[in-house]
Amino acid sequence: MAKDTYLKKILGGDQYERVRNSKVLMVGAGGIGCELLKDLVLTGYGQIHIVDLDTITLSNLNRQFLFRRTDIDKSKSLTVANAVQSFNYLNTKLIPHHGNIMDSKQFPIHWWNQFDYIFNALDNLEARRHVNKMCLFLKKPLMESGTTGFEGQIQPIFPYYSECFDCQAKETPKTYPVCTIRSTPSSPVHCITWAKEFLFHQLFDEADQVGVNDAEKIAGETDDKEEQANLAKEANELIELRNSINSKDSNGFINELIEKIFKVDIERLLLIETLWKARTKPIPLPYDEYKSQLEELVNNPLSESILKNETKVWSVLENLYVLYKSSVALQTRINGGEPFITFDKDDEDTLDFVVSSANLRSSIFHIETKSKFDIKQIAGNIIPAIATTNAIISGFSCLGGTSYFKHDPKSIGQNYSSLMEDSRTVYISIRPNKYITSALLSEPNPKCASSSISRGVLEINENDLKSKSLSWLVNSLIDMYGYEEEGLSISLGQSKLIYDVDFNDNLDTILSNINGFKDGELILIQDDDDVFENLELYITVKKDQPTELPDIKLGKKIFEKEEEDEDDEEDKEDYSMEEINAGDTIIIDDGDEIELIDEEIEPAYKKRKVDN
Amino acid sequence: MFVEEIALYDRQIRLWGMATQLRLRSAKILLINLGAIGGEIIKNLVLGGLNSITILDDSKVKEEDFGAQFFLPNDESIVNQLKLPLVIEKIKELNNRVNLTIDTSSLTKVISDSQYLKQFDLIIATELDKSQLFELNSKTRELNIPLYATGGHGLNGYIITDLIKHTATSEKDVGNIPRKPDTKINRVKTITNVSYNETDKKEIITILDEYNPISEIFKSKQLPNQLNKRQMKRLSAALPLIFALFEIPKPINVEDDIDINLLKSTAISVCESFGIPSTIITEEYLNIFSKQAFTEFSPVAAIIGGTLAQDVIQFLSQKESPINNVLILDSIKSEMPIYSL
Repeated sequence: MAKDTYLKKILGGDQYERVRNSKVLMVGAGGIGCELLKDLVLTGYGQIHIVDLDTITLSNLNRQFLFRRTDIDKSKSLTVANAVQSFNYLNTKLIPHHGNIMDSKQFPIHWWNQFDYIFNALDNLEARRHVNKMCLFLKKPLMESGTTGFEGQIQPIFPYYSECFDCQAKETPKTYPVCTIRSTPSSPVHCITWAKEFLFHQLFDEADQVGVNDAEKIAGETDDKEEQANLAKEANELIELRNSINSKDSNGFINELIEKIFKVDIERLLLIETLWKARTKPIPLPYDEYKSQLEELVNNPLSESILKNETKVWSVLENLYVLYKSSVALQTRINGGEPFITFDKDDEDTLDFVVSSANLRSSIFHIETKSKFDIKQIAGNIIPAIATTNAIISGFSCLGGTSYFKHDPKSIGQNYSSLMEDSRTVYISIRPNKYITSALLSEPNPKCASSSISRGVLEINENDLKSKSLSWLVNSLIDMYGYEEEGLSISLGQSKLIYDVDFNDNLDTILSNINGFKDGELILIQDDDDVFENLELYITVKKDQPTELPDIKLGKKIFEKEEEDEDDEEDKEDYSMEEINAGDTIIIDDGDEIELIDEEIEPAYKKRKVDN
Repeated sequence: MFVEEIALYDRQIRLWGMATQLRLRSAKILLINLGAIGGEIIKNLVLGGLNSITILDDSKVKEEDFGAQFFLPNDESIVNQLKLPLVIEKIKELNNRVNLTIDTSSLTKVISDSQYLKQFDLIIATELDKSQLFELNSKTRELNIPLYATGGHGLNGYIITDLIKHTATSEKDVGNIPRKPDTKINRVKTITNVSYNETDKKEIITILDEYNPISEIFKSKQLPNQLNKRQMKRLSAALPLIFALFEIPKPINVEDDIDINLLKSTAISVCESFGIPSTIITEEYLNIFSKQAFTEFSPVAAIIGGTLAQDVIQFLSQKESPINNVLILDSIKSEMPIYSL
């Protein structure tokens, strides 16, 4: 009998041995990361690298169970690696890295190459896209996961065999028309956006002229010249007010602020009659009626308790008090030498200012006011998170990742076709007759910019970089991949063209002298004759190895086909299918006996029955 | 609630609201047995902020416990010592606001002790055998205490619930046909009340869930009424195999497999009793279950323990219906069906 008796019985000798000898990467050590690392360590993984750039905060502790109160402000990656030692029964080697996974200096491409499998436990799109791209470059298997409240999903990714992270468009945050925010708000979120992105930003943050103060955007939304002029005037006056922060005493600054924002601006807005034909008119704040009460509150130290009551919906007077206190604090900080202050939900001064000014604006426009607790969520884009969802999703992530080791990675190489059948994406979808929904992996989306492209690593010797010219690179590409000289174009980074048939200025330039041609950068090679698909190369500079272009056979460019034959899907099996409206994922689902009540509460799911 | 407490529970209060958090803060729970799944349940409930939890377990640490039980100290010399005193401090560290008590009395002693069981609002029993489960359930029925039962076999696991009666009230979008009170949705669910929220244009629906005693679940004939032909054919073999393992004793030596012929014949009689086709029992599943019966696996414990703890929170929140009454985890097919047996 031994500690790993169960693991051997469950995984079998070969798979268990492969897991023991594997080296995996876990990106993110937060809600999913804490749970996932526990599962991976207890599954007996040989070596786990952990990357996270974050530090621990109080609101993590309700779910990130490897952290304690005494760990607050410490590095997440270093702390988790220590915390799991108390149950690291099988001596997994843990290697934490405190850093940003997108930092190509700390995590260059050859660093990624050491891993057999990569687990994402991230909370943002940007980092997910980066990891996805690195896995595509190296053709490494990746497990993607995410949770929001009671919902969550995992998606195994086998580069170029299954859908990658970018194959499905992701939801982008909702934006509102500038005029709704600035002139005619009708919901709390409009006033919160106004308070955070216009008022606070214009008064305290680094100055710029975009977003909610963009004249062009406003002109695109409304033809009303009166409204346009008024919005410009409002904004200019706000800049004057900002410039006076240093020269005015608190009382002067704040009185002027309140007078202008909640009275004068509203009175002027009322003069634009076209706005109020079909809307209820706002009522300017009768500031004079509150002045003496506000003064009393400000002078009474006991009033501080108002600020502590975050779940109460404050009265107009209380909001005025909070606005007063936070404005004083912000003014003091600016005068104390902070050049500007950026909104941060955990910076109480900035949050109090936004909460109180949003609420005052709401009450002027007859909109429901909200508690600080509620406004913090909207202003700070807080996504609710719980331990149980993270535990469930991490369990599936570990199971899915571990099943990769059923096969011998050496014999698979990077041919993942045999893994496609075994793997499933899993969504939590709680219904009376089932808890999750799972689906076979889809093939890469031919329109996906990340998947429908060839990739490789250009290993370039340091001496070549410093001595060879761009024309040498062009010729090497032609020799290696069979491009026609006339059709070839090369861009560096996101979009900087460095060569095509009409732009050959750089041909004699030494590579290292081309701005941006360096380690960790990408070059994109396109065939303007539209024969070969695009090729993206990752530049990595080596000292002791000869320059090597990746051995890739470029596919032909795929043109958008006519609508696929609809019958294709029906052949798959006699499952009923559902489509999630966020993408085209096809979900295998045998629970079509969903009860009446259940169907109605899930309008997000469009049903489409396929005839058997 | 204190400011500190709201800040600690911030991300969950934003999901289930203050009222649910207060309900959690007043609930008293008994957890029977602290294996891999028990460990996951206690972790989740302690993090969530329950009022008090008593853990009942008289077992001593075994070598195989080091497989998936993450509260155990990393020290092999503790084998054969009582488990609970060794882990309780580690559990308390998760959240000092929860009152935790350990009890190393034997289950046999308390299982019939009404005074003891009556202290709790809810009981969660893990890894019980059939006779223990039936005995406990007859007691919880008598005392009107909701009971969750759960366990795992390697890649597979189950949750069985007898929550007696539960009402859940929540706002739903209005459907094509307005809902009416006293509508039976199915055998176990009834809409008992409907009101209308004018401002949000939503219906406020109250649903009554009625539960069967667990001994009835084991004898259920409901599956043929619940599943159509295609669903019946695709039914996971994990369902009859999990019920079959209630009829077969756990091997004394953990390295031993369950006799595959015994497992097969038992599973076939479970199928016959449930009225489902025995053809669903494949060689693949028989092999997996005979090897993996009664084994613990961390990711599976996390899924089952996470689901059960979430359902307990659901139960306490009185907003949505809890599981009624058998959930099966089949991680070979990535399925978690729920049946009303």
